[in-house]
Amino acid sequence: MIAGEANTVAIGFFVGFIVLSLAITVWAARRTRTADHFYTAGGGVTALQNGLALAGDFMSAASFLGIAGLVALSGFDGLIYSVGWLVGWPVVMFLIAEPLRNLGRYTFADVVAARLRQKPIRVASAVGSLAVIAFYLIAQMVGAGNLIRLLFGLPYEAAVVIVGGVMLAYVLFGGMMATTWVQIVKAVLLLGGATLLALLVLARFGFNPLALFAEAARMYGDGVLAPGRLVTDPVDAISLGLALMLGTAGLPHILMRFYTVRDARTARSSVGYATACIGFFYLLTFILGFGAMVIIGRPAIMKVDAGGNMAAPLLAAAVGGTGFFGFISAVAFATILAVVAGLTLSGAATLSHDLWVNVVRHGQSNSREELLVARAATVALAIVAIVLGILFKGQNVAYMVGLAFAIAASANFPVLVLSIFWSRLTTAGAQASTYVGTAAALGLIWLSPAIQIDVLKHEAAWFPLRNPGVVSIPLAFVVAIVVSLLRPVPEEVSRFHALERRIHLGTDA
Amino acid sequence: MAAARWRIALSLTVAMMAVYFGFILLVAFDKPLLGSTIAPGLSLGIVLGVLVIVVAWVLTWVYVRWANTHYDSRLGGLR
Repeated sequence: MIAGEANTVAIGFFVGFIVLSLAITVWAARRTRTADHFYTAGGGVTALQNGLALAGDFMSAASFLGIAGLVALSGFDGLIYSVGWLVGWPVVMFLIAEPLRNLGRYTFADVVAARLRQKPIRVASAVGSLAVIAFYLIAQMVGAGNLIRLLFGLPYEAAVVIVGGVMLAYVLFGGMMATTWVQIVKAVLLLGGATLLALLVLARFGFNPLALFAEAARMYGDGVLAPGRLVTDPVDAISLGLALMLGTAGLPHILMRFYTVRDARTARSSVGYATACIGFFYLLTFILGFGAMVIIGRPAIMKVDAGGNMAAPLLAAAVGGTGFFGFISAVAFATILAVVAGLTLSGAATLSHDLWVNVVRHGQSNSREELLVARAATVALAIVAIVLGILFKGQNVAYMVGLAFAIAASANFPVLVLSIFWSRLTTAGAQASTYVGTAAALGLIWLSPAIQIDVLKHEAAWFPLRNPGVVSIPLAFVVAIVVSLLRPVPEEVSRFHALERRIHLGTDA
Repeated sequence: MAAARWRIALSLTVAMMAVYFGFILLVAFDKPLLGSTIAPGLSLGIVLGVLVIVVAWVLTWVYVRWANTHYDSRLGGLR
């Protein structure tokens, strides 16, 4: 099977998925009449549905294509991503999910703004959220571009434009209802496809994963089963670990999903379902990554895409033939499309709900106008996503998402946690923390070896770590606490106590 | 009541973080240990990686069970 050669079966699956999801969109569009429907599907999503949709939002191109590629190329170190991304979920569940559901409406800024001054908070969290969304979008677009190039032989740039266009159609007309259902369909397809792929790989090794790992070690040395190839510096390992775990709790498109369910109990159960699905999926990435390493071989994977992103589809072609390759590619494409849609939707919610309605119009806006602005924001974001996707060609998508997590963990997580737990947080403190966290994460990424050496081809990088988390996350916490303590605001403390019952119990009574 | 939920939530969070950062610290500082093979094809690193995922499952399950059976029923009585 030659990369870039169009094949009918693959295209058949592709078209099939697109038709199915457009049908969902049309169905959902008839039910999307108010801003409430657009952002949260009217709040009527069940726990299992939301759990699958959460899992769908989270199992992005980075998880499927990126981790499989990283494991195939670097062995054990790719698994750090699998483990790190999962452990964020229990934290979301224990600390964030229920208070978030109890306090907010559309975006996580609702929670912070509930006890502090609206406008500065909303502007700050919009900046943080949009930075996260931008990096996350880059990763998805890069994955999509490569995939379509491999499958149809289309140029990378054309592929990115197509993904942007189809995604735009979903979000624009179907809103959260369409996005949720596309996520659910995709989560089921992705779990099924990955399971089947893993089984086909294991069938070659007598259904014994150890035989697979042993073969990998025989071909590439015992080093593939040990850490060290990707994360050489101990501090970098800790930095990546922190960002992966805490970033989950700061991702705007994940946090937004808690508003699509009825109450805190449903939110809680949906995280339970999501954690189960995602954990299972990440266990499969162990098999898929090592399978690609052994069955396809590293040189062949690198030849198709230097970042290793095409390891899983190539593996499908090798163990299941062209038809299965088409199926897996269609699933991967669906994954990207759905995640891009979810991200864009949360970006649109931020721009329209946080910035337009609450800052520009001082909360004096009607639902129709808000919906209109949200749709305009969606178009703008789609264009940004396409441009960024073309600019960042050739990066490993798991690494890029790792950076998005670092920004989320620095910009959003500290403020969100402190606003739920710490009565003395002030508006100035929250604001400073978001700006410093975002700026520190972005600045350190710019100064890191990934940009300075890999992209700009400089000799050395000013900042030695590839992931900024270990510096920027504590910094954001310290800034929030110091600024809040320096200029205490008694009214904001008493407002927190007034809200405490609602945070915990979901009722004002 | 709410305090009980925070106690449970915080201790589970601490447990999760301890397990995970234990794993990450081993990755950071003791690579040879994680690289040591227990059986052919099975390194300690892979075993621990799988274990961390399993622990995450178990803790989540414990919490959902506790909250759904104890917390919600008492919360209902409170309203």
